[in-house]
Amino acid sequence: MSLAKKIEYWFMKDIGADLLMKFGGAAKKKKGPSKPNPKLGPRLEASAVLQRIIARHYFMSRFAKGAMPVAWVTSGAPVELLRAFGFYTVYPENHSALCGAAKRGAEICQVAEERGYASELCSYARVDLGHLFSGKTPVGLLPKPDILFCTTNICATVGYWYKAIAHYLQIPLIQLDTPFNFTEMTQADEDYIVAQLHESVEELEKFSGRKFNYNEFVRICEMSHATSMLWGEVLDTMKTKPSPMTIFDAFTQMLPVVSLRGLPVAKNYYEILIEELQQRVKDGVGALANERKRLMWDNIAVWFKLNDLSKLFAEHDMNFVVATYTSSWSSTQDHMSNADPFKGIAQTYSRTILNCNLNHRLHTMQQSIEDWDVDGLVIHSARSCKPYSVGQYDLKRLVLERFDVPSVVIEADIADERVWSDEQVRTRLEAFFEALEDDGREAA
Amino acid sequence: MAEKTASRGAYITEKKQAGLRPVGVFPAQYPKEILWALGILPVEIWDPPLDISTAGAHLQPYVCSIVQSGLELILNGGAEEMEAFLFPHTCDSVQNLATVVNDYIDLNKPCYFFFHPKAPYRQSSRDYYYNQLKRLAKELEPQFGPMDAEKLKTAVAQGAKVAELLRQIYMLRAQNRLACSAVEFYKTIRLGEYLLPEDFIPVLEDFMLGAGGQGPSGPAVVLSGVLPNPPEILQTLDEMDVRIGNDDLLACSRRMIAPPVHDDDPLMQMTKAYFGLPPCSTKNSPTDERLDYLQVISERSGAKGIIFNMVKFCETELFDIPQLEEALKKRGVPILVVDTEINQGFSGQLATRIEAFIEMLG
Amino acid sequence: MAYFAGVDVGSLSTDVVIIDDNAEIISYTVIETGANSTQAAEKALESALEQAGIKRRDIAKVVATGYGRISVPGADKKITEITCHGAGAHHLFPGAQTVIDIGGQDSKVIRLGPGGKVIDFVMNDKCAAGTGRFLEVMAGKLQVKLSDMGPLSLKAQGEPVKISSVCTVFAESEVVSLVAQNHPTEQIIKGIHKAIVNRVWNMVKGLGEPGKVVMSGGVAKNRGVAALFEERLGAPMLISDEPQIVGALGAALLARNQS
Repeated sequence: MSLAKKIEYWFMKDIGADLLMKFGGAAKKKKGPSKPNPKLGPRLEASAVLQRIIARHYFMSRFAKGAMPVAWVTSGAPVELLRAFGFYTVYPENHSALCGAAKRGAEICQVAEERGYASELCSYARVDLGHLFSGKTPVGLLPKPDILFCTTNICATVGYWYKAIAHYLQIPLIQLDTPFNFTEMTQADEDYIVAQLHESVEELEKFSGRKFNYNEFVRICEMSHATSMLWGEVLDTMKTKPSPMTIFDAFTQMLPVVSLRGLPVAKNYYEILIEELQQRVKDGVGALANERKRLMWDNIAVWFKLNDLSKLFAEHDMNFVVATYTSSWSSTQDHMSNADPFKGIAQTYSRTILNCNLNHRLHTMQQSIEDWDVDGLVIHSARSCKPYSVGQYDLKRLVLERFDVPSVVIEADIADERVWSDEQVRTRLEAFFEALEDDGREAA
Repeated sequence: MAEKTASRGAYITEKKQAGLRPVGVFPAQYPKEILWALGILPVEIWDPPLDISTAGAHLQPYVCSIVQSGLELILNGGAEEMEAFLFPHTCDSVQNLATVVNDYIDLNKPCYFFFHPKAPYRQSSRDYYYNQLKRLAKELEPQFGPMDAEKLKTAVAQGAKVAELLRQIYMLRAQNRLACSAVEFYKTIRLGEYLLPEDFIPVLEDFMLGAGGQGPSGPAVVLSGVLPNPPEILQTLDEMDVRIGNDDLLACSRRMIAPPVHDDDPLMQMTKAYFGLPPCSTKNSPTDERLDYLQVISERSGAKGIIFNMVKFCETELFDIPQLEEALKKRGVPILVVDTEINQGFSGQLATRIEAFIEMLG
Repeated sequence: MAYFAGVDVGSLSTDVVIIDDNAEIISYTVIETGANSTQAAEKALESALEQAGIKRRDIAKVVATGYGRISVPGADKKITEITCHGAGAHHLFPGAQTVIDIGGQDSKVIRLGPGGKVIDFVMNDKCAAGTGRFLEVMAGKLQVKLSDMGPLSLKAQGEPVKISSVCTVFAESEVVSLVAQNHPTEQIIKGIHKAIVNRVWNMVKGLGEPGKVVMSGGVAKNRGVAALFEERLGAPMLISDEPQIVGALGAALLARNQS
């Protein structure tokens, strides 16, 4: 790493970024406030802060390369380990979601398809590879990685994807293999993960030329734990009626806990957000002007339809108050309080929803239905994501049979906007709305 | 070929009467020896020739035909005789199929699971694999046990014998000293998907004796992918007098060609053998390893090109292909990628592509 | 003098070429394949023999190619159209490195090595976009004669209309709505041609630097499509006067090599 690059990075981080973003317009307010939607409550004020944090994060990434080692990391990886070594971390999944939200997903996917990647493969991976091949992105420039860090607790697919990048860039790949919990997690599973963490520490020491600082690592784990707990509190505010926030907000608000976990900025942000949400709860302010029905979302967001779906459901006074997806970064994090941080990481990262069997998913949903008082469930069958999607047809049946909650399946995707049929989705949702209204239960 | 091996159904019934207990096993890698030692007859479910109807109520259309037809077999009663199912952790789709069957479909049959560690391998991978063997044995014992230490030793020795015979057969074929069509070759070695080693070993020995001599005189290729299915692919190659010099098929060499290893601890011997298997996408082997492996087996078998037979929606394989294709072409190895679905036949266009590829090599 | 025949039974047309010992073309025929490919092959061969003024027994070898190659009676050998197009293109244009062939049901791109040997190739997938069939369907929708498509598109003023669907069925309804929006026919046709070229261009790129390009197949007669390819290539293509007989010519040449 060059000294000049380091000085440039730290200058930018402390002073330069804010100045440049102000002049360069990176943090420029979008055109004046659009006409308020009468169905929606007031916008979250904290969102402006969040936007600055996101813009700054991507802006700073331009200066990271050369100043500090850059790692590309999967969303379910124990990033605490990398932070202890001073890595600059980039989350390709988050970047792919942003490309999806900007409706650039299909275009960037096509670049990967031209290089031979089949269009039925995960669109997060296709966007990432397409970006790698072409540099196309709506958010400036992602620094190329010096190392890759992958954890298979979200899918086996990330393993194939990161292996491909490792091949193209000929850089080291550190992988944490988290055995899928077909039934219960065993001691052998925990031992295996802990052993791999120790092996990873050795590999990271060799790669970075730095000694592992255990105390720093413990401090970061504590920070990460506190942040995740705060995120859990954020989601808990949505148990209130009316809910002060919608899941469409949460899809965006989760960025710090996913990508900046373990850094002070994430924790500080959620402290601000919680305060605002609690005030809303006190004042009885809801995310919807008139919240009549409360819904649960299953699977990753349809990023390219976030706005449209948000408006459509608000139109029917229906609010999404909980999702299996957004809870993934809080529901298992209490294991981080384990006295041995390696064991804490093993438990936290192995028990995530996608690394557990479908019975576990059903129980998690049952708990959410009770705690958040859910009237209906929208199941996004995402072509990209087999671990999240395969089994949903039975899930739909069981949720109705066992918990008397109606649901609907929409066939779509996370980042590839070509996988969307207005006609098909509209018909299914209309039938779902009718079923919800007919069943006679009115939310308080 | 021994008559008793002629039909899968008849064989299962016969073995059941002899006191063996059939267990249906899904793709791909699992420790057969542990099952044999417990008196289990493992019956592998790869590509049952079924039309998909009921499975469609449980699985989205973007799930591959192997997983679809496996579930179809369970749902339509075709796996009635199985006393349990075993699901190895092969890919995201098989993983979710396993939990759908175990958690969401009322089968009244126990399901067992086997998780094999994913590459890149380290010491912890070996330790974990060894522990997983122990765990599987322990989990099977209440239903099928107890495990007899001597029987396990015998089973491991039989497994080593099967591997040795398969290595020899593959070597003969690579050296063009096996007078046998591709259809016949795969029909024979795939009998291992349900025959017990005491029946499979003589079949392989007879086959080796009976098939001495020079093989097909056309150009040689390496066949890669998951399965030699649809069967038309082998028929087309046979008609063109093509020799399959070696294969890189998940159902075949990638789990069959274990190196000769020994350890006094049978589970350790199995562990050593497992980590000596060829690189495989379902184990997440690094691309460069697979690339070198493909080049070596091509060169050693005199193959002039590689045919990749892709199952639609198979992520494990489809993620590897672009890198392999690019790198192999750079190394001057001609390759052909075809997309198929199991038991869905062969379009004329597909046949043309394969024929043109062979003409190009010839 | 010995003669050799190549019979190319395609989905739309059946072509026969007869050559002599010196590889000179003696006669050729192009007829519609229709429902019975065996009959079509026989009929085309007969008429080529008649033109050449020779008898069936004067033909030393027959090579059959095309999707109907299995149904040609009396063929000495069957060889795929990939290899035949390669041989035919190399004979006509010895320096050719790439062949783009767009036929009725499929399109293919072939890389040629020294001596016209095929060293790599790609074919379109199952769908009809990027084939002659696509053009035929669109011409029908626009009520334009297929042979007028090329000249009309060359007259288009300004940018072609963008056809975003790659599927024939969807593109069909897209074209209908473009007509309803009163876009000039010339520009729509150019847009259709561009859609085909985009599709096939991905295949060309997949095989590396194209070098000298030969275009064959019925669609090569469409100057509009050819012009768009040339624009992409930045160089003119080599197109023979009868581009649809390149496959049959290659088959005849390979029959000559057999003896």
